[in-house]
Amino acid sequence: MQVTRRQFFKLCGAGLGSSSLAMLGFSATEALAEIRSFKLERATETRNTCPYCSVGCGILMYSLGDKAKNAKSTIIHIEGDPDHPVNRGTLCPKGAGLLDFVHSASRLQYPEVREAGTDEWKRISWDEAFTRIATHMKNDRDQNFIAKNADGLTVNRWLSTGFLAASASSNESGYLTHKIVRSWGMLAFDNQARV
Amino acid sequence: MSTTAILQPGEIEPPVGEIPFLYIPARDSVFRERAVRLRALAQGHVMQEFLLFMADLTDAQHAALAVLAQVPLPSAAQTALGREHGMPPLSVQSWPRDAAWQKALAQIIVHVMKTATPTATRILQRLQAMDSAALETFATEILAGNFDDMDLGAAPFVAAALQVYWTHLSTALGTRAFAAGDIVNLCPVCASPPVSSVVRIGGAENALRYLCCSVCNAQWHMVRVKCSNCESTAGISYFMIAGTSGAVKAEACEACGTYLKIMHMDKDQYVDPVADDLATLALDLMMDESGQLRSGPNLFLISTSTLAA
Repeated sequence: MQVTRRQFFKLCGAGLGSSSLAMLGFSATEALAEIRSFKLERATETRNTCPYCSVGCGILMYSLGDKAKNAKSTIIHIEGDPDHPVNRGTLCPKGAGLLDFVHSASRLQYPEVREAGTDEWKRISWDEAFTRIATHMKNDRDQNFIAKNADGLTVNRWLSTGFLAASASSNESGYLTHKIVRSWGMLAFDNQARV
Repeated sequence: MSTTAILQPGEIEPPVGEIPFLYIPARDSVFRERAVRLRALAQGHVMQEFLLFMADLTDAQHAALAVLAQVPLPSAAQTALGREHGMPPLSVQSWPRDAAWQKALAQIIVHVMKTATPTATRILQRLQAMDSAALETFATEILAGNFDDMDLGAAPFVAAALQVYWTHLSTALGTRAFAAGDIVNLCPVCASPPVSSVVRIGGAENALRYLCCSVCNAQWHMVRVKCSNCESTAGISYFMIAGTSGAVKAEACEACGTYLKIMHMDKDQYVDPVADDLATLALDLMMDESGQLRSGPNLFLISTSTLAA
């Protein structure tokens, strides 16, 4: 028995002349001429997870654009992923409104800081943002870390900072978050179930 | 104080149930509806005459299927064994096909002779003159996808008769006789490659994608946005001819460089995996120009340039 799993078929202009269509006496000339006036349009569908809550519904995101280096592709439609075991194609009103969330004019797209004593939001780089957060966390931990309790038992607690993780995380990011946060000694730790 | 019933495991109904893995079209309408679709698509089409003749051929399939004789089917033990091991029980490569398909071929030839062009008539007469053994060899070559050195003009008629026979088998046994196979891009009924895929509407199949068998007409579930040839989920793009409804697109994979057409019933509820594929030859030609190969055949339009890798 011959295994024909990998077999490809070439339907091209040159091959049409010897194809079954031509052998039966039909002409492919017009079909070949017609495509000169046609243009191919490219779209993409991407599988993702709704960011809103811990149910973690699967979504399909449709975008237009040819993925060329200088062409920006735009998301044109979002719907429930019919193959996803959690939601089987359905979405709640929040999930159904995701497209507006993606294109929202007031969407936060970069880190901003409001310095103490001001009422103004100032744009900063991701590097600056990470450095500031890390510095704050380190200072707080250095000052408030509890290595031993009153009885001299080693407890390694950091009670003055808490951590709130996102709702729509994968198992892997959940695992990493837990490992990192618990290694710091942080006890106040939760995942936000819904936004 | 009110009491709230606490649901126990198993009491919560899943919202839409299991994904139906197999969809087998109705035996008495699959070819009839395809013929209707071909005639509708032929209106104002540059390949009008070809599509109308293919409609006649499909009508002939419908008539031949209606009178096909009783043929041996696999036993319950054979289908159970197939389900257990994920093997298609009616594989086109190994199932001992009954000579009834040759009778269907003879009927099809008589039927299409009425509207055949002089060229096609000569081909049909050549087929009529072939003996049983030669026809079996021809059938084996078609089912194996060996299109080189083949009598391509005659191939669609032989393929049409084989489709009638295998459609009889798949519809006679029903969906419960089959289970998902190990190779997702081969039909779980007859192990043939798909002709195209359809995103269905309505019921439990709503918005799910099914690959459509090029021989037995069974449709089997395949996750969307996944290459039906190499199962890659990265780099999947959809190409359509600008200005069309988008009911027929080419699902292309960057990983293996192949494409298969995908038809959307929510854009046009009457799309047919074979008819709409023939009517969108322009999309094939344009995909070929961008260097991509088709991963499944349409046995009504065969070209010699078949590449096996």
